[in-house]
Amino acid sequence: MITNRRNRGFFLFALAVLSTLVVAAPASALPVFARKYQTSCQTCHTIFPKLNPFGQAFRLNGYRMPAETEEMIKEKPVSLGADAYAKMWPSAVFPSSLPSDAPFAMNMKLADLYASSHDESGRTIIHNDFQFPQEVNLFSAGTLGDNFSFLGEVTYGQLPDGGSEVEIEHAQINWDSPFGPTNAVHVKIGKFAPDYADGFQEMWLMTNNGIDTMFAYNPIGYRGGTGLGEDGTGISLPSLVQGIEVYGVLAHRFFYTVGMVNGMGPGPNDTFDGNSRKDLYARMDWKFGGMGLDGDTGGSELPPQNWRETSLRLGVFAYAGDGRGIDFEVQDDDGNTLSMQDRRYDRIGGYASAMLSDLNLIGGYVRGNDRLRLSDPETGEMLDETKRNYDAWYAQADYVIAPPFQCSVRYENLRPADKSADSLRLVNANFSWLVRANIKLMLEYNRDLRDAKNYQLATVLRFAY
Amino acid sequence: MKSILLAATVAAAISSPLLAGDIHGKVACKGVRNSGDAVVYIDKIAGKTFPAPKDHAKIDQSNLLFVPHVVPVVTGTTVDFLNSDAVLHNVFSPDGCAEKFNLGTWPKGQSKSTTFKKECFVSLLCQVHPEMEGFVAVLPTPYFAVTAADGSYKISDVPDGTYQVKVWHPKLKAAAKSVTVAGTAAADFEISK
Repeated sequence: MITNRRNRGFFLFALAVLSTLVVAAPASALPVFARKYQTSCQTCHTIFPKLNPFGQAFRLNGYRMPAETEEMIKEKPVSLGADAYAKMWPSAVFPSSLPSDAPFAMNMKLADLYASSHDESGRTIIHNDFQFPQEVNLFSAGTLGDNFSFLGEVTYGQLPDGGSEVEIEHAQINWDSPFGPTNAVHVKIGKFAPDYADGFQEMWLMTNNGIDTMFAYNPIGYRGGTGLGEDGTGISLPSLVQGIEVYGVLAHRFFYTVGMVNGMGPGPNDTFDGNSRKDLYARMDWKFGGMGLDGDTGGSELPPQNWRETSLRLGVFAYAGDGRGIDFEVQDDDGNTLSMQDRRYDRIGGYASAMLSDLNLIGGYVRGNDRLRLSDPETGEMLDETKRNYDAWYAQADYVIAPPFQCSVRYENLRPADKSADSLRLVNANFSWLVRANIKLMLEYNRDLRDAKNYQLATVLRFAY
Repeated sequence: MKSILLAATVAAAISSPLLAGDIHGKVACKGVRNSGDAVVYIDKIAGKTFPAPKDHAKIDQSNLLFVPHVVPVVTGTTVDFLNSDAVLHNVFSPDGCAEKFNLGTWPKGQSKSTTFKKECFVSLLCQVHPEMEGFVAVLPTPYFAVTAADGSYKISDVPDGTYQVKVWHPKLKAAAKSVTVAGTAAADFEISK
């Protein structure tokens, strides 16, 4: 049992760091579309997987170019029904198409990790590790006719014992513009990265490390959460969800999304959701200047360097979670095991991204409120119910020195709900060399600012094809 | 004697400026892979009607394609649909202006026919192979042409005069312009979605 608060915080942080060593992280760069359109990765990516304004529009348009025409698509799709069959519906199946070449792509990440952390007893452990590979991602993406698109991703994370951990990270189908103006409505169903995290979820960052303080906080604890949980177990902002989302772009610059998803899981009897109640979320953004969120330029000229623009995107989001009936074990100060439910977990936050030519400043804030009920694990008798809150924020600056050379610095701060626990302050610095459009080398340093012995230096070679 | 008279009539007709003209040009089709398969035609000419030709037009179903992909005909023309494939084919149309005909299904080497009585742009489909699609453009005059992949076309034997020339494409918006033919005339178009 961990009794020392400081050590406990370090242990959780170290656990989170270690978890990134062995658990695959989301990644997204889709050479499928490079093939389909016979275009470079840099059409959509400033440095993969970070999207430039055009790439953001391409994604939000349901993996289609703005005002896409047949001429742009170099791989002629396979017809699954002539267009005139639309006149026959419902007497015949509505026409569609599928990609002519198998729409698959691979991403591989090889990493050398030099990490310093603490073990459970507080000892410092320094380790240099070749993780070749650290992870391999198999992507599949494309469009199915005029109104459907899909994205799949299976990730293989290399385990220390030589085995691998496999996770389906994305398995989604989009119904694009089923009615109304183009891009006003998209319906997404499956397992996906929710769009309330558009712009700051790991798969859209240039850094190797994600923003753990936004996604990996664990609020469960005797006096409230103390810090980050293991990857994928945090109950802050889920980075991947299973559910249904509606999103769209209106007036070229207004983005909205609403979603209904499984919350904490897994549940009993091989179910995915911990209870039958669904979590809800919403986000709204407005983008000032630059390219419209759907790729519209309003007839004005934009810089030929497609990573540059002068723009400001502001967004607000909210997440409402319901964890009633989902029990976690916690221990009180005397070591007694108790049962805890996070019966209501609400998150509100904001996001900002300013693009100033070669500089992209992004930041985000989330405030979490958790209604924690403590009960006797044997009798179920409620012992206490309290509301706890935590705050997390980050600020990041990405800079394009020259297209092949880019850098990033991020500061993260997390004030846990347990007032007796220290806050987390992390810094993450990255230098990236885009060796080729689809090969990049990253040098990334991540450190706990309260502890000089808690850091990680990663040299990562990543390529996609 | 009859032969001489006929030859003299044909010679006179050929030398007449009324039959010597043509309309040529290019159609730029924006938003599709090439500029082929657009039909350029002269619209109704006031006071003139054109009898249906006795010869049938022909469309082949070959290698799971309608060949040609787009066939213009004058109203009243009968079209023969031949199946050249070793698999069964069907021809039907969902279009009301073509009376939603369905010719059934027939094997290799056989053909079936239908007559297109009304002006219409008819979609041709095959129930056996849903991806197959062809078109018959049923037009009011026999002055028409289908563009090549580069968009070029030529309508021959057009009498001198001023006409409304139209362009139709299976996927793009139609266009029209007035064209005066005096021996020869050029008319270019640009059409898009």
